[in-house]
This record gives sequence, structure tokens and C-alpha cells, in this order.
Amino acid sequence: MRGRLLAIAGLVAVVASAWLTSGATARPSATPPLTIYAAASLTEVFKALDGAQHFSFAGSNALETQIRNGAPVDVFASAAPLNTQRLFKAGIVDKPVTFTANRLALIVPKSNPAGIRSIYDLRSKPVKLVVAAPAVPAGGYTLSVLRKMGLSSVLSKVVSRESDVKAVTGKVALGQADAGFVYVTDARPVSDQVSVIRIPAWAQPRVRYEIAVVTKSPNKTAAQAWVRMILSAKGQTALKHAGFLPLPKASS
Amino acid sequence: MRRPLSRRRLLTVAAGTAALAALPVRPASAAREEELAYANFAVSSELLLADLYAKALAAKVVIGPGQAALRAGRRAAIQHAGALSGLLTGAGQDAPAAEDFDFQWPAKAFHTPDATAATARVVLRALLGAYQTAVVTVSEPSYGIVYTSLAASAGQQLGALSALGASGVVEPFPVALDLESASDTLEPYLG
Repeated sequence: MRGRLLAIAGLVAVVASAWLTSGATARPSATPPLTIYAAASLTEVFKALDGAQHFSFAGSNALETQIRNGAPVDVFASAAPLNTQRLFKAGIVDKPVTFTANRLALIVPKSNPAGIRSIYDLRSKPVKLVVAAPAVPAGGYTLSVLRKMGLSSVLSKVVSRESDVKAVTGKVALGQADAGFVYVTDARPVSDQVSVIRIPAWAQPRVRYEIAVVTKSPNKTAAQAWVRMILSAKGQTALKHAGFLPLPKASS
Repeated sequence: MRRPLSRRRLLTVAAGTAALAALPVRPASAAREEELAYANFAVSSELLLADLYAKALAAKVVIGPGQAALRAGRRAAIQHAGALSGLLTGAGQDAPAAEDFDFQWPAKAFHTPDATAATARVVLRALLGAYQTAVVTVSEPSYGIVYTSLAASAGQQLGALSALGASGVVEPFPVALDLESASDTLEPYLG
């Protein structure tokens, strides 16, 4: 009898162990993970929101090109409406929705070797400036800010044009550049390495993020549910905590 | 990436376009970027000023001639914003709109006529100072006339603040401000 009890207990332990190591961590619906292409600036917040999906983070323009060329993607989240809207017009994604907004900032290394205190200092001081490439949303927004402020001349001080905004953040954080234009949310994860210099509200571009389900996604129901999650209170709270702005008044 | 015009924005632009038509201003396509920077700042600041007047009217603490001054100031600010937006769109730039801002006002900014006048004075002084500098910065004479006109209007509005019951302040030489200083003054309100 004792032997039988031990055998049953052992079986229960094995089953429980198997359940704990696989079943408990599996997605309830047992659907495969979604493949989500997202703007580099969404890296931290999307991973924190849902680590179970397959993410690819990069410049929205590069992701747009990959999707256009047939990359197997379920959801695309872009840092500029231009990228999602182009795919929508081509019938590649379903109707995009705006899900958050952001602001641009100038960051400098904590040591601030160039002594930059204001964006206007870029004009008068010898600086190594790093920006995102013009086709990358952050790069386009940077050009917009400089144009609005009458400071496009500082582009002559650009030493590097990066393929996404995280590369700009990295170069400044590592002290390889004196200053760089990034989103305010990019500065947060490296706040011990960089200082943020505000860009005036009147010069801010309209940074709007859009998200869309890829039309040919084989996991469309799950993809639509994921988009709904981003738009839900849970998703919006996470974005807010990461420093993103609430849905813009005009699109909410 | 241009947005469709909302009714509010359409009215603003229409009012501004009408006002601009009355001024001898040339198309802005040839304007220098530095000149347009003043217009970008000024549109935002005039929208801020219009919001200030709207909030002051909604607070209903100013009555009589002061209320008429607030209404006139609001109309002027809306027309100025529209006219300046016209300069920017004429130069191929997107103009800021009220929806782009989350204007911030101190808690007691509109609790009394004096508080209202003090808040308005801060905004108007920054605007007047920027307009004064804009007049001598722009290379296009017709722009200079626009900024002179806007500076005169800001001065008139500062004078009209006495109708709010505040003691009149007459400055013999109002200080001209560069764009950075004017921007720093208004940044806390622009949100």
C-alpha cells in the first residue's frame, strides 16, 4: 500500500512538474507567438507589455520596406503615420490607428563635454552632432524641429546619420557624440548616462504612432486582439509610464 | 502628413487669411528659415493668448469694459494666429494648431481681475518683445510691416489691461527679446 501511494505521489509530481514547466507558461489559446514589427523607440515598452511575442525593432522605414517585400509579419507599429499609411494604401495592412504620441528632445552625455545647455547652443559651439537618417521618422522629425527653429544650419555639424533612433541614443550615451536628437522616451532607459535638453513646445513636430494588422497575417484574430490590447487601458497605462503621451486630442 | 482641417481650425485660418489679405504681405515662399522661426513661435503664442482670453472670459471675474477688452483681445489673437499660419503654409511649412498644445495656467491665474491682467501681461510682453526683434530681423519689408502691426496690437492689448482694473504700466521702451528668451518665458504655459 505504501509503495502504491509513493508511486501515485511520484506520478502527480511528474505531471505537476510538466505542467509547471510548459502548460503554465504557454499562451492560454495555444496560438503561436505573433511576429510584431515595431519602431525602435517602442522596444522597452512593448517587451515589458508582452514578452511572449516575436518582436523586431528597427527604424519604421526599414520595417515598412521589409513588410512591402513580403516579410511574414502580423502587426506593424510605426513611429510615423507615413509608413503605415503607405502600406494601407497598397493594401498590405488593414486600416491603421493612432495609439500614442511622443516628443523629441536633445540629449547630451552626462559629462557634457561640449557644454550644451540649450538647443540654440548647437549654433555657436563646436559639436559632434548625431541624428537619425532623414528617412527614419526620428530623422524626419529632427529636420522639422530645426527648420521650425531656424536652426537647419547646425546640420553641418552632423557627424553620423543613424538607421534608427536607438543607435543615436547609444552613440550619445557612450560619449561618441556631443549631442543627438531622440524621443524623450529613448532618454529614460539611459538617464544615468545622458541629460535631456527640452525642445520648446512650439517647435515640436507632431509625433504620432500608428499600429496596423498586416492584411495577410495568418494569425489575424490574435493580431487584432493584440492591437486592441495596445489601445486598452493596460496598453495605454504602460505607454504613459514609459513616457509616451496620451492619444492626441484630434485622434482620440 | 497634413491633417484635415477641423471646424475650429478652419475658422481660425479663414479669419487669419482675411486679415492677411488686408496687409501688404508677399507670398512667403522666398522667406528665410530664420524669419519663419518667428512666425512658428508667434502662431503658438497667439494661440496661447487666445486660450488665455477664453479662460478669462469663462472665469467670469472680469465684468464691464474689461470683458469687452477680453473679447476684443481674443478676436485679435485668433486673427493673428490665422494670418501667421498663412505665412507658414505659404512657405510650405505646417502651421501649429491649438490641438498640438496642452496649455498650462497657474492655479489662480484667473481668480481675480488683477491675476488675469498679470498673467496676460507676461504673455503679451513676451510676444511684444519677440515681435520687436522680428521687425529688425526679417529681410522682406512686407514681413516687417506684418510684425510691426502685430507689435502694435500687442501694445494696444497691454494698454487695454487697465480695463481689467489693474494699475496701468507704461513702459517708455518695452524690451525687445530674442526668440530664445521669449520662448523660455512662454514655455511653462505652452505645455
